[in-house]
Amino acid sequence: MNMQHKIDPITLEVVRNKLDGIANEMESTLLRSSFSPIVREGLDASASLFTLEGESLAQAVAIPIHLATMIPVVRRISSEFPPSTMEEGDIYLMNDPYLGGTHLPDIALVMPIFADGRPIAFAATMTHHQDVGGMAPGSIPTNATEIYQEGLRLPPLKFRSGPERFDETVIKILRLNSRIPDTFMGDIHAQVSACTVGAQRVAELARAHGGNMMQALFAELLDRSEQMTREALRKIPEGTYTYVDYNDNDGIDLDRRIRIEVAVTIRDGKFICDFTGTNPQVRGPFNVVPSGTQAAAYYALRTITGAHIPTNGGCFRPVELNLPEGSILNPVEPAPVNSRTATIKRATGAILGSLRGILPEIVGADAAGEMLALMFGGTDRNGRRYVVGELIAGGSGAGPESDGVDVIETDATNCMNLPVESFERDAPIRINSTRLRRDSGGAGRQRGGLGIEREYEVLAGEVVFTHRGERHFCPPSGADGGESGMTARSVIYRAGGEEEVVPSKLVTRLFPGDRVLILTAGGGGFGPAADRDRDLLRTDIANGKVSREQAKEIYHLADD
Amino acid sequence: MIEIGVDIGGTFTDVVCRAADQPLRVMKVPTTRADPSRAVLEAVRQLKDQWDIEPADVARFVHGTTVATNAVLERKGPKTGLLTTAGFKDILEIGRQMRQTMYAAVLEPEVPGYLAPGAFRHEIGERVAFDGEIVRPLNEQDVRDAAASLVEAGVEGIAICFLFSFVNPAHERRAAEIIREEYPDVALSLSCEVDPAFREYERTVVTTFDAYIKPVIDRYLANLEQGLGQAGVPAPLQIMQSRGGIATSEVARQRPVRLFLSGPAAGVVGAQMVGQSAGITDLISVDIGGTSSDIALIRAGEPLIRPEGHVAGYNIRVPMVDVNAIGSGGGSIAWIDTAGGLRVGPHSAGSEPGPACYDRGGEEATVTDASIVLGYLDPDYFAGGTLKLRPELSFRVIEEKVAKPLGLSVEDAALGIHRVVNTQMTEGIRLVSIRQGYDPRDFALLPLGGAGGIHAAALADELGITRILIARHPGVLSATGLLSAVVEHETSLAFPQRVDELSLDDVRAALGELDERCGGLMRKERVPPEDVEIRYFADVCFVGQSHYLEVPFTPGEDAAEQLRDGFRAAHRRVFGHAADAPTQVVNLRAIHRAGGDTITDEAADAAGGEARKGTRRIIVQGHEGHLEAAIYDRERLAPGTTLAGPAILEQADTTTVVPPGWSIRILDGGNVLLTRDGAQG
Repeated sequence: MNMQHKIDPITLEVVRNKLDGIANEMESTLLRSSFSPIVREGLDASASLFTLEGESLAQAVAIPIHLATMIPVVRRISSEFPPSTMEEGDIYLMNDPYLGGTHLPDIALVMPIFADGRPIAFAATMTHHQDVGGMAPGSIPTNATEIYQEGLRLPPLKFRSGPERFDETVIKILRLNSRIPDTFMGDIHAQVSACTVGAQRVAELARAHGGNMMQALFAELLDRSEQMTREALRKIPEGTYTYVDYNDNDGIDLDRRIRIEVAVTIRDGKFICDFTGTNPQVRGPFNVVPSGTQAAAYYALRTITGAHIPTNGGCFRPVELNLPEGSILNPVEPAPVNSRTATIKRATGAILGSLRGILPEIVGADAAGEMLALMFGGTDRNGRRYVVGELIAGGSGAGPESDGVDVIETDATNCMNLPVESFERDAPIRINSTRLRRDSGGAGRQRGGLGIEREYEVLAGEVVFTHRGERHFCPPSGADGGESGMTARSVIYRAGGEEEVVPSKLVTRLFPGDRVLILTAGGGGFGPAADRDRDLLRTDIANGKVSREQAKEIYHLADD
Repeated sequence: MIEIGVDIGGTFTDVVCRAADQPLRVMKVPTTRADPSRAVLEAVRQLKDQWDIEPADVARFVHGTTVATNAVLERKGPKTGLLTTAGFKDILEIGRQMRQTMYAAVLEPEVPGYLAPGAFRHEIGERVAFDGEIVRPLNEQDVRDAAASLVEAGVEGIAICFLFSFVNPAHERRAAEIIREEYPDVALSLSCEVDPAFREYERTVVTTFDAYIKPVIDRYLANLEQGLGQAGVPAPLQIMQSRGGIATSEVARQRPVRLFLSGPAAGVVGAQMVGQSAGITDLISVDIGGTSSDIALIRAGEPLIRPEGHVAGYNIRVPMVDVNAIGSGGGSIAWIDTAGGLRVGPHSAGSEPGPACYDRGGEEATVTDASIVLGYLDPDYFAGGTLKLRPELSFRVIEEKVAKPLGLSVEDAALGIHRVVNTQMTEGIRLVSIRQGYDPRDFALLPLGGAGGIHAAALADELGITRILIARHPGVLSATGLLSAVVEHETSLAFPQRVDELSLDDVRAALGELDERCGGLMRKERVPPEDVEIRYFADVCFVGQSHYLEVPFTPGEDAAEQLRDGFRAAHRRVFGHAADAPTQVVNLRAIHRAGGDTITDEAADAAGGEARKGTRRIIVQGHEGHLEAAIYDRERLAPGTTLAGPAILEQADTTTVVPPGWSIRILDGGNVLLTRDGAQG
């Protein structure tokens, strides 16, 4: 194709900037017009443009876990509905993880973009919907043991024929399966609006350049990002690098740690992630279909190859994945998958961790890499039902030149915490403290970031409490002689005086006077603790980040 | 009556003078970074020499300052303490746990912990519940001990931020009282006064920033007041605030966190006034600087305000004009990536070394160098001739850095650089307006900054905008904005009540309290009550949502209907839909304003003489080869003149490129309107 269409380098760069702008406009439309707070405030949605071959041209992502996860969706849809049979205004939809989706709440919509009377690209959006049915409100049941319990499964479907005709049958099924049909359909229509904006603007661009030229430009953009990525990879020493890390358990078999093992090979401009040795699939919902690990690998690759490379499908061509069938990263249907995030985070951390030895300035020590999910549900004094959820981070890993950051989101996720002043208004629960967790950062020449201490006290009524933690048993490693970050720990102090240590995952009931103390993990330290600058250490003591005891015992600070 | 506006920029401090029946006068003096007040006082000294103005005749003196922002950027504030509720010492450093840089594993802090590091943060025994009930009384001894220890450590300012103080401020106020008794010289910032709204991290940040910059602002303004007094200026010093209203120095010093966007706010007010004098109420202003461009929207004659802004990389919850920066400007560098593609930015040559043609050692091809190659700039008349440009250097860098690697002519390479940077700017403008629910085609474009006029027509063409307004003095728009701004005071309080259960008595009582506070500030301004215009707003959201929209209302019998309908209309505009769901009020706000007027430049008559200076060959996108463009001296074009592109309008502080297909009209007020041919003008 490139032979026939001479590419003007200026037009190429103009079109690239336009495609990025269009993806951003789609994302902005998606976020603005969605109904549910999880989309609007959790930013759990993404918008992309794809080639007909299913490679991403431009993507606006708010959370890395969405990065390129729509690739298998678009490929699946275009294999079931060949683009040559598509008409302008058609919209296709699906969510099933075993057919290319992620988990059931994430529904993808795909719309062909037409120029010169034929499709030249796709506009696609994916939104985490608040409820798609299944055994628990919110459609992320932590006690699911098969996908059928997780909600409505949608194979690739034609949702709209042409610009007007929605499939009423599909709409009726969607509405009937959600606990909140109006919000659900509102969010679906936000996806329709975003796809429409994308399709219209790309079609407008194509009118100026012609459909064939547009496709030639797309191909060139992908080739160039591929070329730049391979060049960046060639600058990294060739070899195979391995890493093993663990998650705590799957919430069902509490004493069984989950092993994530990876061998990353960098050779000939390729980036091969082989997860042989990784845990078999688990009974609980922590399994991940391949698109999730793909996002992990893409995230790691973008982190090590540099911001100057325009992100598109070309960047991902060097990636090869080996995900053993029947493992937690390539489960066999009908394994449950809704709580996949913790596993994707650990896979991302493991890929990065394997490269630490050769890229210490980019990778640093391990981050806590935990996103503690808490859920409190019950009835308040006025008989009103409430559910309040929280996502809480630990510390980031130290780099060779800088301390880790305290309590911050890392790797594949990026969520906000909940203000005390919002939490206490919504639930009859008081928060007694929110502090940095002293001494939790891995000691080192550069110290790991600190985790958090937060204590909740039930004031009234009975509370159903869900705790989905990580790093309770396996700490984030230090680097280059640095110490591990402190493991996470959560304890329930019952009103009667008993103490219950939370085994990372737990569903239990709380009663008035019960308190829950959560302590998240710190990041790993970098370099030997003995090498830490003594003035920095004294500042840490003064600021309460390191205790005198730790300074003495681990940093060997002489008495002042 | 003589009025002076002084705006401090990075390089120059701009001074404008307005006197009855006189043309607006403009002067630039070099900015003195170490102590910006020196440049201001220097300007005052020059009033007499340059314009024969006696300082004693100055009746108004309005100032836009960057001191607040600089103190934060340079981290030059004094040691600052923070008192928190027991158990919550580290709210400031925990933040919201999100990161801005997505693809990175070695991270930087996202929170301004440096304002008050752990050693300067003290926990105070006290607790207020969400409904205002006191769960644990204030431990006064804790306050005394904390204050003693902080003062001992050399702290100059203390921020107090307790949980739920926006519902019940008693503990914060009492703690402040205790500290004032013992240490009257310590600057105090109370969260219940600075930002009485929910979300403890955001409130702590803004309150701590307030305490951190208060001593700096205080010293600066005191110096300036003293200097003006000694120079014999009798007028009280007035300061521009971030929302676009002015306040006397005395009031501004009490609320320093409201000064962060002092300069940019003045620019937006200036743009608003230019629109007003041209009868255009909907404007997008684009200020194209060296490293970045600032975009702001003016809708129905009023600048858009955002409830929080970004300063030095931090989100600070204080209302300010909605100015959005994008990372493309005249100094943006064009480069070739490792796959051989052309890229522009995000790196910039800034003003030092600047574009190659500045001949200050710049070795990179910048957007400004491309402008030289395209014939847009007169090398001998750049910045009114104050900086002599060397065009051959522009040709050389573009040849070497861009044209040769891409196999293009120098001219095509330069045009390519412009096409790419214009695409970046148009996508930025689209996103800013679409996020607010506005279609850019419904707006006129108002270019600012030295390079605004060069790109304006290309941007307008791309955006489907058909009108461009060029200000008479675009280079000093901030300073002129200072003179036309209103005196404004804004106060707010938390008011959590459902709209369908709204108690009008409660609303009126709350507004009464806000009016009392604003009224107190206005009395300090010596503004007579009858001159004050009062507006009320409510932040409203759907029940259960945490993001709200501001809705104007009046506290009449139909207040609830106004809030509900106003909120739905705003929701529909910004979000495209409005559910029939219950709504609730979050905060109430009162805005008191007085004065302000349009600058109608009395003597907008043209300078005499021949306006046409000759022709220059320019290259314009969408037109083959070179075009002969007529060059006009903008100062000599009389109101009512109409011309057609291709043309170039030159004036001391800007150059405007008018491609074929655009018409020029000089307006009565001295501004210039460009209209796309065939559009409704």
